[in-house]
Amino acid sequence: MVEHISFQDEISKNKIKSFLLIVVIFVFFIILGALISFALDPSYFFVIMIISIIFSLSYTLISYYNSDKIALASVRAKPASRTEHRMLFNAAESMSIASGLPMPKLYVMESEQINAFASGRDPQHAVMCVTTGALKKLNKQELEGVVGHEMSHIANYDMRFMTTVAVLVGLISIIAEIFLRSLWFSGRNNSGGKDENGKLQIILILLGVFFAILAPIVANLVSLAISRKREFGADATAVKLTRYPPGLKNALIKIRDESVPEKDKKKYAKAMAPLFMSDPYKKKFTDMFSTHPPINERIKILDRM
Amino acid sequence: MLWWLWLIIALVFVVVIMFIYYYNKFVLLGNRIDNSLSQIDVQLQKRADLVPNLVKTVQGYAKHERKIMQAVTDARKAFLGATDIKGKLKAGNEMQNALKSIFAIAENYPQLRANENFLQLQQELAAIEDKVAYARQFYNDSILSYNNGVKVFPGAMFASMYGMKEKEYLKIPTEAKAVPKVDFDEE
Repeated sequence: MVEHISFQDEISKNKIKSFLLIVVIFVFFIILGALISFALDPSYFFVIMIISIIFSLSYTLISYYNSDKIALASVRAKPASRTEHRMLFNAAESMSIASGLPMPKLYVMESEQINAFASGRDPQHAVMCVTTGALKKLNKQELEGVVGHEMSHIANYDMRFMTTVAVLVGLISIIAEIFLRSLWFSGRNNSGGKDENGKLQIILILLGVFFAILAPIVANLVSLAISRKREFGADATAVKLTRYPPGLKNALIKIRDESVPEKDKKKYAKAMAPLFMSDPYKKKFTDMFSTHPPINERIKILDRM
Repeated sequence: MLWWLWLIIALVFVVVIMFIYYYNKFVLLGNRIDNSLSQIDVQLQKRADLVPNLVKTVQGYAKHERKIMQAVTDARKAFLGATDIKGKLKAGNEMQNALKSIFAIAENYPQLRANENFLQLQQELAAIEDKVAYARQFYNDSILSYNNGVKVFPGAMFASMYGMKEKEYLKIPTEAKAVPKVDFDEE
């Protein structure tokens, strides 16, 4: 007998894991900051922090408020029409009733591949985009599963969450960068110190360099890991909404088994990949740098629900 | 000597915050239940609006099926006449059953099944039936989170103080549960 997974458990488990991953990023952030301030002049560090925080905050705020428009424009999505895409409207209406969320604005993008994404900063400003391939190849239950998955991203505030993570990752990268560059200038002033203090400082600087190189990489990996966790969470919520695991499961099986022409892959900007319901590049294996969890694992978990 | 005073102030503050928090929580959860109930009503109303059109279309082809036509028209009248949600739900179930038998007899009239208008109505009614089911599901989900809030400590303490009681789930009629999800529209 296979163990039965309740979707509520799955959702709360994902929440805890995502939270832990955020904590890991924060700890890394603090270690990096502490090392840099030890290695350099503390007052100097303070200025760097303020500048980089203002810079990255304004940058992310702008992209956060326009994320939906940017995403839709980059795939050339068109608004869906109620008469032409009736099945999509029915599925989205059903899912918005089941989740108690407002109906998202619906868009369709031209692509043979079965895929979908949702964007927008909160459920009131949500947009959902489905490929023409998905509308052609999926039946009603499967489409409901896919729409339910995207609805869950909206319901879980995944857009907001991923933006927060992006801010943290961006901050770490910027600070690490500034630290590495500042070494060029500070190095000259400190040369010649032979006492114990000087040695300690050199060790700290080396450690700082090590962390500054490592931190952005680790932060990126962690954010990708969170993104993968979020996909599992959205699958679980989609089942909660449809109460019908085979719908989403069969959609994922169709996605796995379809072959995507190379010219279709080029339609997606690399930066858009994490937004989609399944990896548009269809990488054969999953590693630390994957934006999505392996599709077979998602199918297996849905099988046990 | 002042520390215990601060402690008392902090405690009072926490208790007041908790009172406000739980009051708002129950009000929000209660509102969600009312809202989900009206969602069911909206879908049932949409279905009732389609019935006259359907009856007219079917009558053109199947003149001898008066009984079934009467049943669906009566159910619609009962729905429109119902004042409380319980009556509406009951009439809504009857309407659904009557519609089911209409689509069953349609199998005997190939010309009717080929009618564009009929097909569109059939698709639309199938979609509405789905939405009714999802609206019921959301209603029960809302009741579940409300009941959990009322039953689980420490919310249970505040619930009894505010006089909040567990609410009853919407019972889905047994024959409706047995109906499998069928694809009408493979677009």
